[in-house]
Amino acid sequence: MSRLRAIAAAAVLVLAALPAALSDFWIFIAIEVIAFALYAVSFNVLLGYGGMLSFGHAAFFGVGAYAGALVVKKAGLAPEAAFALVPLAAMAAAAGVAAVVGFFSVRRSGIYFGMLTFAFQMLLYTIALKATGLTGGDDGITGLKPPGALARPAVYYFFAITMVAPALYVLYRLVNSPFGITLRALKANPRRVQYVGVDVRSHQLATFVISGAFAGLAGAVFALSSGNVFPAWLNWTASATPIVMAVLGGVSTFLGPALGAAVYVVLEVVISGRTEYWPLVMGTIILALVLLMPAGLTGLWRRKGTS
Amino acid sequence: MSDAAAPILSVRALSRRFGGLQALGGVDLEVARGEFRAIIGPNGAGKSTFFNTITGLIRPDGGRVAFAGRDVTCMAPDDLVRAGMGRTFQITSVFADLSALENVQVALLAQARQSWRIWPRAGAMNAERAAELLALVGLAGSAARHAGTLAHGDQKRLELAIALAGEPTLLLLDEPTAGMAAQERIESISLVHRVALQLGVSCVFTEHDMAVVFAVATRITVLHQGLVLAEGTPAEVRANPQVQQVYLGESVIAEGVGT
Repeated sequence: MSRLRAIAAAAVLVLAALPAALSDFWIFIAIEVIAFALYAVSFNVLLGYGGMLSFGHAAFFGVGAYAGALVVKKAGLAPEAAFALVPLAAMAAAAGVAAVVGFFSVRRSGIYFGMLTFAFQMLLYTIALKATGLTGGDDGITGLKPPGALARPAVYYFFAITMVAPALYVLYRLVNSPFGITLRALKANPRRVQYVGVDVRSHQLATFVISGAFAGLAGAVFALSSGNVFPAWLNWTASATPIVMAVLGGVSTFLGPALGAAVYVVLEVVISGRTEYWPLVMGTIILALVLLMPAGLTGLWRRKGTS
Repeated sequence: MSDAAAPILSVRALSRRFGGLQALGGVDLEVARGEFRAIIGPNGAGKSTFFNTITGLIRPDGGRVAFAGRDVTCMAPDDLVRAGMGRTFQITSVFADLSALENVQVALLAQARQSWRIWPRAGAMNAERAAELLALVGLAGSAARHAGTLAHGDQKRLELAIALAGEPTLLLLDEPTAGMAAQERIESISLVHRVALQLGVSCVFTEHDMAVVFAVATRITVLHQGLVLAEGTPAEVRANPQVQQVYLGESVIAEGVGT
């Protein structure tokens, strides 16, 4: 326990000192890691704890990003007021969309569940692409800027942590709560869990909505850092990202996907800066990592820790 | 709602067809409170379909099911369980990735309608009661073990503890001794019997092994080709010529008498 506390304290110190040690570019990357850490963890609540493999999770990240962007750009509010509304708007919009997608998707399981999420995502991608009046179509929404000092990466970095850390804590409590243990039981044996008196679909739908809402928050946090949102964020290829991050980090641990997100983002930045064939190199590295560590990076660490 | 004078289970004209097969052809069954009822019959007699139809896994084509005087036909499994009807499965069904204690905790949380609480830590919740139930079925020493790593017989015991956590008034056990060695079967059904008496739970169970049936059943219902062939006390069923006809050649009933 004290060792865990020491690690946590060290992590807090490192996170606090990071902006002072990094260039604006790398602070920007750190913000991306923070946002994608929440994205990957929220996705893994669905996959690792609930046994639901969504092929359309980018939809909720994208909806949250668009919702945040629209509040800043089109709500006609003072910049500060609009900005304060962004997290709420992003989570509400993503949760709302997830409620509709989830309502239909949890009626099926396995690959059929995945296909339904995939189909809904293509629908939402098309809306983002074609509803030009609202979304700007192919051009997306650009020129997003947080108000005042928050426009500086070193300040926004702390805002991102202020958003993401409590969100991660809520998800952590969730997976260790009665709701969470019931979710794990549901993953292990959906039929049996019905016969202890659990309404399986409602439980799955609630998980789907919560997961989607936090993916939406992650999307908004990232959108306001990058300054723009594009329809491609909702494209089906984008839904591979949280899957890879979660599997890379380890789906059987709570923070594994966050570690996976960090490794993925940093690798992508480093490699794409050196070669235009970076997807080839990324693919090879991910292949090697998954083959060598089937339980993910955290799986390796845990195995070492126990031996 | 729940009528104390009504039979714990009353099934009327229950039918179910699968394609060309009439799995249940209008089954009537009445079980009184405190009974330990065995449902026997050759393979394909409709025992499992009968169980699955009563417990909401399969929709009947026709007929009614009343549980403690209340019509529960077509009720969803989770609602049935919360109303007090528990069941176990022929193929042992536990939560393999969870510890034995957690297996029971999940059921206790559902019973207490706490499955939706997202903030408190589940670890200690109902842990004492869960440990009691594990002790009751003889698994006190295995609380921390992953359910998937338990021996087959112990998984059956665990499934019993899970079912009991729902505080059922009626327990339906689909082949509670399936896959066990002969000696283990009698031990296992005796455990169920003892626990059911202790907690005042009425039981209905399907079973192939006649030794097991005659060891504990208060009454026996014989299903054959989707219909009730005979019903009565063990002595009556054993003496029934039609039953002997169905089991002719297997001579299991005669074997059962000796044990």
